[in-house]
This record gives sequence, structure tokens and C-alpha cells, in this order.
Amino acid sequence: PAETRDGAQARARSPPAPVTDVAKLCVCDLLVAQCDVNCCCDPDCSADDFSLFTTCSVPVVTGDSHLCSQKAAVYSLDVEANPPERIFKLIDQVNPSIFCIHATNYKQALYLKSPEMPTPENFDQLLKKFGSSSFSAEPDSWNLGTDAQNPPDANETYRYEYGVPVQTEDAFLRLPSPVVSSWCSDANPAGFLVNQATKCIRSVSVEKCDSIQALSMLFYINSSILASVFQVNITVQSIVVQSLNGMRDLLNDSDVLRLPMVLDELCINVVLGVNYHITYTDTGEIIEAAAAFVLGAISKEALSIEQSFEISFTQENTKPVPLSGNPGYVVGLPLRAGFRPQGYPFPAGFHSNKHNQLTLLQSTSTQDCLAAQGARAPVLFGYNMISGCKLRITAAMKCQPLAQTLLDVLKGQSFPEYVASFGNSQAQDVLDWVPITHLHISEQRVSNPLQSSCQIPVSLGIEVKWTKYGSLVNPQARIVNVTATITTTTLRQLPSGRERIIPVTSSVVFTDISSPAEPGYKAWPTINIKLPFDFFYPFV
Amino acid sequence: NNSSQLSSLPLQILFYVNGIYYIFYFLATLAMIIYKSQVFSYPDDFLAPDLAVLFLMAILEVPRLYLGVKGNLTEAEAPLGLSLGLTVGSVVLCLYLLLWQTYVLWADVVLNALLLSAYGLESGLKVTAIAAFVG
Repeated sequence: PAETRDGAQARARSPPAPVTDVAKLCVCDLLVAQCDVNCCCDPDCSADDFSLFTTCSVPVVTGDSHLCSQKAAVYSLDVEANPPERIFKLIDQVNPSIFCIHATNYKQALYLKSPEMPTPENFDQLLKKFGSSSFSAEPDSWNLGTDAQNPPDANETYRYEYGVPVQTEDAFLRLPSPVVSSWCSDANPAGFLVNQATKCIRSVSVEKCDSIQALSMLFYINSSILASVFQVNITVQSIVVQSLNGMRDLLNDSDVLRLPMVLDELCINVVLGVNYHITYTDTGEIIEAAAAFVLGAISKEALSIEQSFEISFTQENTKPVPLSGNPGYVVGLPLRAGFRPQGYPFPAGFHSNKHNQLTLLQSTSTQDCLAAQGARAPVLFGYNMISGCKLRITAAMKCQPLAQTLLDVLKGQSFPEYVASFGNSQAQDVLDWVPITHLHISEQRVSNPLQSSCQIPVSLGIEVKWTKYGSLVNPQARIVNVTATITTTTLRQLPSGRERIIPVTSSVVFTDISSPAEPGYKAWPTINIKLPFDFFYPFV
Repeated sequence: NNSSQLSSLPLQILFYVNGIYYIFYFLATLAMIIYKSQVFSYPDDFLAPDLAVLFLMAILEVPRLYLGVKGNLTEAEAPLGLSLGLTVGSVVLCLYLLLWQTYVLWADVVLNALLLSAYGLESGLKVTAIAAFVG
């Protein structure tokens, strides 16, 4: 009925009345209907509970000490009695100061003011009184025009600082990235000097693929970056076309803009990846911007595709060489490797292969060794890896070419000869590079030694031994030894028509061979007493 | 010649003592109000009446004492009667400061009680003096 509802509302509106009776106030009574330990004022405690207490955590409960005379509840434990019992005394505490409060005529004098309960009637007035810009319904600062900031003066060069979003003529340079879920959000601005790589999923449909903006090249290069006096256009650096089965082809002419179009139930020229390269000067001005695209095709069944985006900043006139540690290797960074050119000991240094890295066979979804050529993964320091593929041997296969093919599959096109011992080893410092030792283990089969032995490599194991180097508090990782072990097995002749599948594996293992640290102590300070030469002046 | 002098000597002494004591009372009460406003929660709409009463009492005190002295010395009952009337007003204001001030400190109680007793004694002596002048 209406009365109870109003009553309940009225009760809900006013806060509960404060407890002012000193005898009933108990700050340590935290457990409802249970006795709190060492809480002498707890009404839930019985005499038996009091006999177990050691002290009273709240010895005195008083009101405001400014009052001239006030009631005080004093709790204490009488430990002499057996069993100990609690003593409760209600005394009048007198404040001897002449400035004690004799009386007050102001109700809230010694209490905190209860805040006003908002009701529909006083809500607007309270909002005006207490609500600042954070609570107002129409804040002044939310002008829609503030996104278009004042364009910089023509004479003033536009300098960027680290982390500042790269501005274009309408908004910011966008790097779509996953927000909350894996779906692409186009509102992520690229920060200056912040190298980012993101991957996100975009929903597509083949019928409407030419109308979805984010799938066309134009979306990513049509805005020009605001930088220095003029605007920097984003040029197309290269276009790689990826076919449906994953093969990538670099196109010769990257000037032609390729827009998505529907062709035979496929949509081609769909942007699968963009790689921005921004060049800047040492004063923070952007002078060049280029984008490398990966275009692909989507089939009718595809409902979503994964796009990957990357942005990297390079200072002009420099060619950055990524180090794998400074000086010790950092876990997760690739091992640096290279070759020694002919003609050592001339101080020619090392050549590194195309990516300066030691690589390992990368397992593919097809698991066929002969079709897996090309896919390799870099060996990362500290990460033990194992990968493999399956080799189908038929009777028609010849031994020698097969062995050579497998060796290529295991080792890759250019297997390096040397590995850098420190993450920042320079190519000129020949002593900083560790040669790769090669071992050969052959699994001999006991059966029939008369058969022509044909050894084919079936496993490559790289063992990298590293040690901790340097100070005890900041040890650096240093590679001491790299051993590549090839295990070969005998290939038996198969009767024609039969085929066999053998597994081929490659692995890399990192072993820590640090010797225990030896503490070094500073030398004891010596007392150096030397008398000045004229100490005994008058006598010498 | 005692019989021809109707002016009351005790009243005159009391006027002087009252004057000096009132200056001390005014400064002390003002200082305590300032102290209270700093130490306790003293909202403006409670501070204003207390200060108004104190200043009103100070304004009333000057003509009250002047008229009283003048009446006593000239042995005229009119100024003395007027002074008595003003004393009633001062007593009311003093009672306010004693009972209905926002914060009544123990020092307030002492000062106001002393002032009230001075007023009471003064009123009694004034009535006697008026009776002496009239009669």
C-alpha cells in the first residue's frame, strides 16, 4: 500500500541516527553476534569470554574531550581476580581547562554534518552546488570542433615528440588494432617513434568487398601526414600479392593503385597487411612516409580475415642494425650469425646472411618435408625449439639426391658458420664470434652390413652453450659454444610400390654452463702514515 | 558635609570599575569568539548573531555609563533612570551571551556571571540613588 511505501522511502531517505550514548558505543565490536577478542565493550561477550582476554583494546570511550564534563565509559580487566573479569565504570570526566565547552546551542557542533539526501525536489539545487564539470549534463569542454585543432602556422615547423599521435590532415594516422576483443578498431592512432605491430580480425563478405573501406589500399594512403611546412604524402613502397594457398609474390610495379574487386566468386586485391615506414629527422620532423602492402584474395566462404599492421620509424640517413642484446643476449631475441669470407686472416670481418640469423626448419600444416622448403623460423636466445616434418620415401627415390635435399631442408639455404657470442658483437671483432662445431652421428643398423649403406640425415640438433658473464648483480649472457649435430640413418631399399614415412626433426637447446660466481672483495684499506719531511724542523 | 551630598560614592566607584572591567570583557569575549571560530565548526549564520550581540552591548555600554555618571554627579534622576533602562537592555544581552551563544566556554560563564553581578549591584545602587534624589 502507499503508506508503507512512503514510510519505507522516508526511512531510506534519512540516514540512521548516530549513537551518542557512551556506554553503548563500541568500536572494536566488528563481529555481529560473536565475541571479538580483547574487546571489552563488546555486548556479545559473556563472563567466560572476558576471562580469556589479556588486555582491553579499547580502554576508554568518551565523547568530545573539549566538553567541560562528559561521561566516559572505562573498561579494564582485573587480572588479579581468578578468573579475570572485566570492570566497566561509567565516570564523569572533567576537562580542567577554562576554555572547555560548557554548553552548545548548535546541534551539529561536535558532529560531522550529515550530507543532504538527494530527492527529486532538491536534486537540481544540489547538482548546481556540488556538481562541477565532471557531473554536468552538457559540459562546455565537449565541443565537437576541438578535434580539428588549430592548424599550425605556415612558418612553424611541426615537430613531434615521443608518443604524440602522428597527425594527418583530418585526424590521426590510424593503425587498426584489436580493442577488448580481436575485432579491428580503426581508432588507434600511431604514436611517433612507437614501433607497433598489431593483428586483428575484420569481418568481410565477398559480395560487398569493394564497399568495405578498410579492405582497400586507398583507405590507408589517402590521408597525408602533417609535418614541417608541407604535408607528407604516404607513398606505396611495395605490393606483395598473396594467393589463396599462401604463396607470396612481389609485384614489379607498385605505382598502380589496386582496389578490391569481385572476380569469379573471389574478391581480389583485399588488404591483408600494411607496413608503414616513417622517416624522421633528428629534430623530430617527419620527412617521408611509405607503406608496403600485402594484398590477398578472399573466397566466398570467408566471413572474416586477419589483417596485420606494423609501423616502424627510422631516422634519416641511418640504417639501423637490430642488436640482440647489449652486451649479453636478451631472452627472446634472435641469435646473430654470419660467415667468414675467404681470405682470413685479413681483417675483413664477417658477412651476415640475409637476416643475420640462425634459422631452424619451421613446421608447416602440410608436414611434408619436400614441400616445406623456405619456411624457417629464427632461433631465439633462451627458447628451446623443436620442429619437424615427415618424409615419404618411395622405392624410386635415389639416395644421394635425397640426402642432399634433406640436408637443405634441415639446414636451410645458407647455414652460417659463426655465431656472435655477445648480442652486440661487431662484425669487425673476429674474436667475439664463436664457430659452429659440426658433429655427425650415424645410427648404424646391425642388420645386414653387406647392403649398400646410404645414410640420410634425419635429425639436426643445435646445442648452444652459454654462460653468465660479468658482474654478479647484472650478469650478461654470452654464448660459448654452438654445436650442430646431424644424425643420419641408413636408408634401406624398399621393394617397389611400397613407401615409408620417416620423421625428420630439428631442434635447438640452450644450456647454461655458468660456473658458480666467485665473490671478489675489495682490498683492505691500508693506513698510510708518513710524516712530513720537515716534521722535526729545528732539530734536523 | 555628608547630608547635603546625595550622590552615591559606591555607585561612582562601581561605574569606574564597570568601565574598566567592560573593556577587558569585550576584548576577552571577542578573542574567544575568534578562537572558537578557528577551533570548532562555527558556520557564518551562527557567528553573525553572536558578534552582533557583542557589538550592540559595547555600543549600549558607552551611553549607559555616561548617563549614569552624569546623573549620579548632578544628582538628577532622569539620566540615572535612563541609565537604568539601558542597563536592563545590557542585562538581556549579557544573558544571551551566557545562555544562548553557540559555544559557551567555561571562561564565558565566568566573565558573564561577573558582569551580571556587577549590573545587578549597579541597578540596586541606582534605585537607591534615584530614591535619594527624588525623596
